[in-house]
Amino acid sequence: MTDAIAQSDQTYGLARRLLDVSALRQEALASNLANVETPAYRRLDVAPDFAAQLKAQMAAGVPTSAMDDVQPKLAEDPHARTVRPDGNTVDVEHELLAMNQNSVEYGYLTEIVSGSIKQLKMAISGNVT
Amino acid sequence: MIPVGSISSSPILPPSIAPVAPSITETGGSAPAAGGFGQMLDRLVSPVEQQQAQADRITQQVLLGDSGQLHQSVIAMQEASLSFSLMVQVRNKLVESYQELMRMQA
Amino acid sequence: MNLLSGIGVTADALAAQKTRLDIVAQNIANAQTTRTSAGGPYQRQIVSFETELVQQGGGPALQGVKVAGIAPDRSPGQQVYNPQHPDADSSGFVTMPNVNVAYEMVDMITASRAYEANLAFAKDARQLAEKTLEIGK
Repeated sequence: MTDAIAQSDQTYGLARRLLDVSALRQEALASNLANVETPAYRRLDVAPDFAAQLKAQMAAGVPTSAMDDVQPKLAEDPHARTVRPDGNTVDVEHELLAMNQNSVEYGYLTEIVSGSIKQLKMAISGNVT
Repeated sequence: MIPVGSISSSPILPPSIAPVAPSITETGGSAPAAGGFGQMLDRLVSPVEQQQAQADRITQQVLLGDSGQLHQSVIAMQEASLSFSLMVQVRNKLVESYQELMRMQA
Repeated sequence: MNLLSGIGVTADALAAQKTRLDIVAQNIANAQTTRTSAGGPYQRQIVSFETELVQQGGGPALQGVKVAGIAPDRSPGQQVYNPQHPDADSSGFVTMPNVNVAYEMVDMITASRAYEANLAFAKDARQLAEKTLEIGK
């Protein structure tokens, strides 16, 4: 029943999708940090075309709850600079910064989703907590 | 008279809703279009069931280790819980109005 | 249950770097050991890593790191002329362990940094999970 509400709230749907991306990025960072010394390891990140696909679908008016075919994927980061002569592109400081940023992003997204849910709860129960 | 069987047979509903059924059919007072009311209640229940099933599906995947998407499970459960709360509130209102109606007739 | 994203890879990396730190400490401690139970000077130990694929519950297959083995470095140690030394050979030379302390220190710093970075990640993963559980509350 709250489907109808969830579907019309684009922000909620978008935040929910982006949570998938944030969780995936966390996995990429785990791999990067573990392989900081592995020779010829190229750092991973979420494939950059995901953001473009998402925007295109939004511009086309697809409701965010129906955007199931746009899935984020991990790929080698094409912009990474080689840090060591053996071809390894992982820079520990960079990864830690990315980790902090991802944390904040994740917190922000859960806040958006949580806020919508709490609002609905208040509307349904009639109590303002 | 009012086909509330669909409600009482639904597995996800708490027992508190089921006892409503006998008292409504027993009083046998004049009923509104029987199909309309039953259909309305059905419309109430099936999306809630679907959302519960969806939430269950995602949660089971996480429990069994088939998926690491903890956030999807939490969100699905919260949404299902919301739907359920909404349904209970609507049910309460319906029962209240019906009882009001019965009191007027008595 | 795979509740913390990527944590399997992190755990492996922590174990691997810890082993490396242990071996570095052992090398430094034995930098002057000219006589071991096997006879001859202490030989520097090297930890070798290998990659392994780790896939946890429905997530992407990640490249993890694992200790492949600990082997002695067979390169010869420095020969120091010191006829008074109890382990000096007939021409007065003592074969020192092939441990270069400066190099070991660099190794130690690198391993520490990698270890702490992975540890920070593990803490972060837990915080994210806790935030997730707060949704709607």
